Amino acid sequence: MNNLGEFALMLAFATALYGVVAYVMAARGNRIDLYLSADKTPPIVWGCVTLASIALWKAFLTDDFSLEYVWAYSNRQQATFYKISSFWGGQKGSLLFWTLLLSSYMAAVYFQNRDKKTVLVPYAMSVMLSITLFFLFLLNFSTNPFERIPLPPEDGRGLNPLLQNYWMVIHPPTLYLGYVGFTVPFAFAMAALITKNLDDGWIRLTRKWTLISWFFLCMGNLFGAQWAYVELGWGGYWGWDPVENAAFMPLLVATAFLHSIMIQEKKDMMKVWNMSLVLLTFVMTIFGTFITRSGLIQSVHSFDEATLGYIFLGFLCVIVAACVTMILKRLPELRSKNELDSFLSRESSFLFNNLVLLGIGFATFWGTIFPILSEAARGVKITVGPPFYNQVNVPIGLALLALIGIGPIIAWRRASWANLKKSFARPTAAGLASAAALFPFVPLQDKSQALTYLAFVLCAFVTATILIEFFKGARARMELHGESFAAGLATLVWRNKRRYGGYIVHIGVVLIFAGIAGSSSYSVELQKRLKPGETLELRGYTFAYKKLSAVEASDVKTRIIAQLDVTRDGRHIWTALPEKEFYKGQNQPVSEVSLYSTWKEDLYVVLADFREDESITVKAHVNPMVSWLWYGQWVIAFGTVICMWPDRLERRRRLERFRQQTAAFAPAQE
Amino acid sequence: MRTQYIVALAAFVILAGNAANASAAALLADIENAIMCECDDKCGKVLINCNCSTSDKHRATIEKQIESGLAKEQIIQAYVDKYGEKALSAPTKKGFNLTAWIMPFAALIAGGIGIGKIIRTWTGKNRDISEGLPGRNEPALETRLGGYSKQLQSELDKLES
Repeated sequence: MNNLGEFALMLAFATALYGVVAYVMAARGNRIDLYLSADKTPPIVWGCVTLASIALWKAFLTDDFSLEYVWAYSNRQQATFYKISSFWGGQKGSLLFWTLLLSSYMAAVYFQNRDKKTVLVPYAMSVMLSITLFFLFLLNFSTNPFERIPLPPEDGRGLNPLLQNYWMVIHPPTLYLGYVGFTVPFAFAMAALITKNLDDGWIRLTRKWTLISWFFLCMGNLFGAQWAYVELGWGGYWGWDPVENAAFMPLLVATAFLHSIMIQEKKDMMKVWNMSLVLLTFVMTIFGTFITRSGLIQSVHSFDEATLGYIFLGFLCVIVAACVTMILKRLPELRSKNELDSFLSRESSFLFNNLVLLGIGFATFWGTIFPILSEAARGVKITVGPPFYNQVNVPIGLALLALIGIGPIIAWRRASWANLKKSFARPTAAGLASAAALFPFVPLQDKSQALTYLAFVLCAFVTATILIEFFKGARARMELHGESFAAGLATLVWRNKRRYGGYIVHIGVVLIFAGIAGSSSYSVELQKRLKPGETLELRGYTFAYKKLSAVEASDVKTRIIAQLDVTRDGRHIWTALPEKEFYKGQNQPVSEVSLYSTWKEDLYVVLADFREDESITVKAHVNPMVSWLWYGQWVIAFGTVICMWPDRLERRRRLERFRQQTAAFAPAQE
Repeated sequence: MRTQYIVALAAFVILAGNAANASAAALLADIENAIMCECDDKCGKVLINCNCSTSDKHRATIEKQIESGLAKEQIIQAYVDKYGEKALSAPTKKGFNLTAWIMPFAALIAGGIGIGKIIRTWTGKNRDISEGLPGRNEPALETRLGGYSKQLQSELDKLES
């Protein structure tokens, strides 16, 4: 099976190479025979990569330690669940997994558009094939997951214990689905540039794919935060690590793109900008991969054998050069009749929203690469860690939060001052009321807490703007159609899925902002050495240490578990069971956090150390509002699903807009 | 009276001790936030977020330095002297490092000015066209839309207002 997997990878490489060459030659020479032949290659490549992936999975599940990769990331005692996830636990497998997802996206786009006879599709397929070809080149000639060990050992080293967590099974595939998914809009954008089909056709063809990729990237980031929170044991969920930044930056650029394409769809303008954003999103995904796999920037998430720096840097340069060249070449065709009716319009607010999103993206990018710049300029490598990002990105983030509230209540095209006053009155009143209501309860001892207070007030303002939008819409339907409020609300959302789905996503973002603000400023922690019977007091909670026990969980894992009874005002709340896990063959034990989560706050207990006399060092955290982030995540997921749901009305509206545009241009054509 | 005095004194000592402990804990947290964990594993975490065995040793050293009366800046400087500038969790705000702090805001301000100019240009262009072609931007919906679309449009317009 290993031989078959290796052969399948080689066949996939050869087929992809043929496909790229044949597509290009067919296009240049206008040869239908070559085109028909090239058009068969995407599903063949997908089939071969799938076969190779099945072969690697089989090797993991059958403990085939003749493969160096299986030996390095699995062992006989490892649970089946983690044997499956070991596939992407190391560099070689993760590259194969990336290629599997990429070829699957390619196959899905291929089958989706097979009968559409759109001129863009063959070019888009050839771009996707070219990118797949790069990854297949790596898999065949640099990081072959089917590399053999001449004398296979009896057992493997096993997966890094930190990766043996269910979030790590979910987080990488979700993140990869997001990263890889942006190849589809990139490929169509390049196809549009190559073929000079620069209307919004490519946007319509890829809107769903962009949303799907955005959704997965967003969920991937948040799943990663959850993994960090429950597994790393430092009480936080985001450390501004370069690899975290690498996943965050494309999300920001893609969010800017999703907003600004609305202007292109509505007004047929900003073509250069939208094209640049979609290309930049893809470039950022490759930049992220470069960071993870180059070893150039120190990160807790980097792969052990991060040696592909120069190859990825070369690939990145080629992509950037291709994007810049194509945009410059097509600049005359991309120029649109950019016109705005007024400074005070939703279009303007979208431009500022783009500025702020890219501002956060740039600050994050700048912080990520600054250590390299410093080393080049001064010869001194420095660290750019959380204090930098918090100081720079928090004020910009608050501006973004304000714009989330301001944008939807400014009318498209032109807003009058009277209209603005009317629209802003209620949300502003809600913000001021929340400011007054929170003032007595929210501590304001330092700058961080002042910013948190401002964040809460803005959250109230934004929530009010969104709820008022829903309320006004439902009321309008009640008056026009005599529907009940609930029915009016449901119909309103159903008939305007993009708009109201977007508002629901905004509510999720508000929840996340509130969660970040609350947990960043009001978390407390205390570390204390305890003997059985002793207690630790923290923010009104009493953590009473009862006993320490050792459990042989398996042949390779021993668990040391501390038991602490948590009470408040004499009432038993919860029994904390933080533990240290010792894995055979691993130097450092792994801390397993014990967590009690409510909507108000999380109790988070870590066993830092223990001794033979059963005394322990325990670190307890009380983290307010962390669960708001996870609620926000599911609200975003719900809103995105509504946005993506097929909408016949939207199609009709688009057709109507197209007719209007045609009619508007008709006299000029005459 | 004497008993009351002793109780009050004891309470003061306990409260003062607690306050000192609290400020020492806050100072420790401040310092831990300002430096990276320098360990053999190159964990790459800010000290306050690190749980490795070396981080506990660093914390113990810092606690001793706080007890000995060293100021925050002195403790951080001693750490930097030992491990180099990369041991700081954020760039200093002087010299070349200042660009790290300035650039994001400079880019944002420049972008803001640029967008402001662009919007003014685009709105100006529209004014010119409107003056030249009266009614050019008037929506011709009424004449073109069917009954259903008209109703839908009027609903959407109501929502916008």
